[in-house]
Order: sequence, then C-alpha cells, then structure tokens
Amino acid sequence: MFELQRQHPAAALANAFDIIRANFITIIILIFVGSGGSEANFTLSWIIGTFLFLLIWGVISWYRFEFSVEEGELRIERGVLVRKKIYLTSDRIQVIDITAGVIQRLFGLVAVEVKTAGSSSKQAKISALTREKAEKLKQLLRKEVNGATKQGEQDESVQQSRIYALGTKDLLVAASTSGRFGVALSVVGVLFSQVEQLISEEQMIRFAEAVMPRTTDASIIAMWIVAIIVVSWIFSFVSTIVKYYDFVVEVREDELLINRGLFERTQLTIPFNRIQAVQIKEELLRQPLGYASLVIESAGYGESEGNSTTLFPLLRKQQIYRFIEEVIPDYNTQITENSKVPAIALRRYLLRMVWVSLPVILLVWGTVPYGVYSWFLLIPALLLGYQQYKDAEIARGEDTLKLSYRLLSKTTAIVKKYRMQACQIQQNPFQKRLNVGHFSIHVASGNQGRNFTVRDIEIDKAMDYRMWLSNGHPVDQGSSVDENEVSSL
Amino acid sequence: MRTTPSNKLSKKAIRAWRVSMSIFIFILVLALFFLWGYSLMSPESEFVSTWTLIAISVFLVIITGLIVFFVPEIRWRRWSYEVDKHEIDLQSGIFIVTRTLIPIKRVQHVDTRQGPILRSYDLADVTISTAATTHRIPALGEEVADQVRDQISTFARLAEEDV
Repeated sequence: MFELQRQHPAAALANAFDIIRANFITIIILIFVGSGGSEANFTLSWIIGTFLFLLIWGVISWYRFEFSVEEGELRIERGVLVRKKIYLTSDRIQVIDITAGVIQRLFGLVAVEVKTAGSSSKQAKISALTREKAEKLKQLLRKEVNGATKQGEQDESVQQSRIYALGTKDLLVAASTSGRFGVALSVVGVLFSQVEQLISEEQMIRFAEAVMPRTTDASIIAMWIVAIIVVSWIFSFVSTIVKYYDFVVEVREDELLINRGLFERTQLTIPFNRIQAVQIKEELLRQPLGYASLVIESAGYGESEGNSTTLFPLLRKQQIYRFIEEVIPDYNTQITENSKVPAIALRRYLLRMVWVSLPVILLVWGTVPYGVYSWFLLIPALLLGYQQYKDAEIARGEDTLKLSYRLLSKTTAIVKKYRMQACQIQQNPFQKRLNVGHFSIHVASGNQGRNFTVRDIEIDKAMDYRMWLSNGHPVDQGSSVDENEVSSL
Repeated sequence: MRTTPSNKLSKKAIRAWRVSMSIFIFILVLALFFLWGYSLMSPESEFVSTWTLIAISVFLVIITGLIVFFVPEIRWRRWSYEVDKHEIDLQSGIFIVTRTLIPIKRVQHVDTRQGPILRSYDLADVTISTAATTHRIPALGEEVADQVRDQISTFARLAEEDV
C-alpha cells in the first residue's frame, strides 16, 4: 500500500527549521555576541549564509529520505553521508505522534513521529506528509497491534469516545500559574545581564531617577528584581498558552488521544497499556488556589529526558480522582494503608533545607550590597522543609503504590506494582541512628527511566513495602523446589 | 537492614579493587611529583606555594590509606546479592547502604564484563539492565559470574511479560 516514496518537498524547509529550533539559544547567543561591533552587514550576511546552507542541507536530506510500509513494517532509509536503514515492526511501536508545526501548516501538511522501544524517535520522524497519508500510515501501523482489526474500527465509529477539553478560563489560570515560571526566570535573568551591554548603566540610573525621584541602590535592585519577575512571568504565560491552547483529551477504547497547541498542533496517541506511572503535580503557585496537573509517564525509549506527557494541565483538586477514575480507571485504586514520615525525621528535613540554602545565602551575603538580608531566606527555606516533611507519604492499595513527596511542588506518583522496574532503599549512618531511610521506585520512561523517592521513611516500613512489592507473583507459590536450586549458586 | 542477601562476592575482589585504586592513586602521585619538581626547580614561581604542596601531599597520603586499605575491605563486607526465580536482591555501599530489588521479569538483558585487572584475578562483573535502570554485581569469580548471568537470563525468559 505504501511503496517506497519521498516525503512532501516541504520537508526540506521543515528540516532546516528543525535544526534552527534545536539550536535556537546557541544562535541567539551567537547573534548577540557577534553583533557587538558596528559590522551589522557582516552579521546579516552571516545569518543569511547559514540559512542558505541549512536549506541546501534540508533539500539533500529530503532527497535522501525514503520510506515505505511493507509487511506491517515501517521502513525508512535516510542519511546524507551515512546511509541508514530503519525498520520498525508495528508491534514494537509504542506511540505515534502526528504534529503540525508552522511550516507544515503553511503547506497543509503534518509530521509523523514514531516512537518505539529501542530506536531514537528523532530518526524515525517523517517531517512532511499530507494528512490523509499520515492517517493511512497510522492506521496501517496500528492495525497489526490489535488482532481484531476491522471489528475494532467498527466499534470505534459506533462507540462515542469521551472528550475532555480545557476551558478558556482554565487555560488562563494554567498559564498564569505555570510551573515554567522558574525556567523562564533563569533565561530572562541571563538576557537581562546582557542588557547592560546595550544600555549603559548611566542611562539606566538617569532613567530611574526620572521615574522615581528619590532613588537609592536598594530600590534600583528591587526594580531590577521586579522587572525580571514580571518579564519572565509574561514569558511563561505566553509559552503556556501557546503550548496548551485548545487542549483536548480523547478517551478511546484502548488509547488516549491528546491534541494541543496554538501554532504547532500536536497530536499524541498513548495506548493505555504503555502507561508506566501517573503523577499528580501540585505546583507551588497552583496549590494555594486548589489546582493541580496530571502527568503520565509512558515507555518510549530514545528520548533522553524521559517521556512525560501532560495528561491534563489544570484540574481542581477535588476533580482529580474523578478524572483519573473516568480516564485511566486503573490508577484509581482504594488506598488501604498509608504511612507518614516519623516525627523523628523532621529535623533531617529541616537541616537539609538549611544545607541547601546556606551556600546561596553566603554567596549573596558576600557579593551583593544589602546581602545581609539574604539571611531572611532561611525562613521560607525552613517552612518549605516543614512542608516537605508533612507531605512525604507512602500509601498502597491493591496492586498500587502511591508516593507523595515535595521538592518545591508536591508530586504524588501512582505506580502499579507490575510496572515497577526496580526498588531501592538507602540508608546512611545518620539515618541508621534514627531508623529511617530513603525509599525509591524506578519506572520506565525514556532512556533513563524515572524514579520517585520518599525520604526518611521508617526503615521497617520501607522494608515492608519492599517485601510487598517483591510478592508480585501469587500465581506460582508451589515452586519452592526451583528456588532451592537457585540458592545453591 | 534486617536480613541481608545470602551470597558474597569473591574474596579476591578486595585485592582487585586495591590494585585498581592503587593505579588511580599512582596517577595522582605522578601529578603531585610533577608539581613538586616544578616548584623546586623554579622557586621564584608563584604557581603553588610549598605549604599548599605539603598540604596536598598529606591529604593524598590519608586518601591513599583510606581508599587502598580500608574502602575495599568495607565495600566487600557490605556487598551481598541473591538471585531467585522472582527477583534479584542487592546490598551495597560504603557509607550509604543501598538495598535494591529488581523483579526478574523486568530484566531486559544481562551480561558479564571483565577489564584487564579483573581478568588477571579471574573475576568478572555482572551487569543487569531493566527498561529504567542498570545494576552491577561487581567482581564475582568468573565461573560464578557466568552462572549468575545464565541463571538470570533463564529466569527472565521464563517470566514472560514485556514492558
């Protein structure tokens, strides 16, 4: 059905833009640094030259990229200098993403990304394709997965799939309380430090004096801080809106379909049986308002930073478990037992925050005027430590483990017993004295996997949970003979 | 931490670790000699003062004593492992004790590795990979290592179930 063919020629352009986007920050820095002198023409020609080069590269790589579907296998031949043949069997494919970036939208096309266990998804990306072809490709590759193909398709058309959409108001709330705030803060901070190169300090002070008659050093610093915070807030606001605009989750028979994005429409397909863990994240800014977000981990390899997908960006706290019940019912189990961190561990939580904040305080104290005030940082740090202590908890249900912990925002991870890859308990001599230890669980997600850790839980309880986790095999109890055989190693 | 896994590493592991630590220390000592030579040859240079050098040397002696003579011993004493039909149980650590549990059906692949030092002592490491983590049982006797590897892979094959 799918003979060997090339992508739509627009792929050349898309490729070039992909490279630019991947190295965006590097390019910006280069331009910033490069345009220091008066030779603006030089910079301009340099930019155009780079762009032309990328375009030519894009065309060549488009020419060298061919794909086909044969015997239920997606076959890709690609590579400009080194020729690569990638064969992906459909029963190994974990996730098929259809996205439409700016370039693709210009031509009315989509990009298809196929994620499997073992191969890097970037390599198996078909970056420009008509939507019909993409849908056909997806159908073809998914077909082999479900044995009862035609029946499944008919069911799908008959059975109405449930849809959850993010309302405008919720989108605005999500954007204004976005967790990307911190990331934006650091980026804006760096940019601001570059501003000094453009505007001289004298100009700045004169401006400040004009705006506020009685200016001191302190108020200038305060002004800077406020300015940085405001700008980064705007950044995070806009970027969240762009990312989660028109967010729709569609619940199908055996998979979830997530559609989102303003400029770049992203469509993610996640089969239920690939979900490895669910996280409820109560971000620092959202928690006081009673909001949280839901993140799921799925097992696609080849992506270095793990494979977390936002299942829903904003939910009222009361709604969360109802949402989980309706969308991923497996993960809504009755909790039968839970254990908090013992009171004796509180001092460890508090001390840890002191150790963490001390270097920052000392650094600020030593370098910045009015740095003495940085000692006040200890107060929120200790409060945070106390809150961390209060939030840490392990709970279990039938075959589910629920770990709650907080670094800045509170995370509650729900892990199925049979999804656990490894379980680890750590204890240092100080913890040994208090009979506590760290308890962590690893689940598959991307290349590295992801681990969830509850700190300073009672060691006996930790061992209990461990025992319980290892008893995940009630089927063959009577095979003690084999076990004897093993222990004779 | 309650019961510990039953199997220990090979006794020879201590000697092997001592050798590899000594090689590491030897490189540091070489660098130190170079610095001493430099500061003695050109006394007027301000690159490093003699006192700093003495401090570094003393520090190095202490470190050597610790990591060559004590650490391998403690490490060996702490290390134990157990493999059965359902899970792999590891205990390790020098200062921080770590207990690891790996369900056997989660094992993706297992292999043995052997560097030149381990080879000269007839030892090998067993590396166990899951979809999320990689674990190592270090310095087992060659035959034991092969046995453990085969054992794990047999069990993993029996416990059919994918990611």
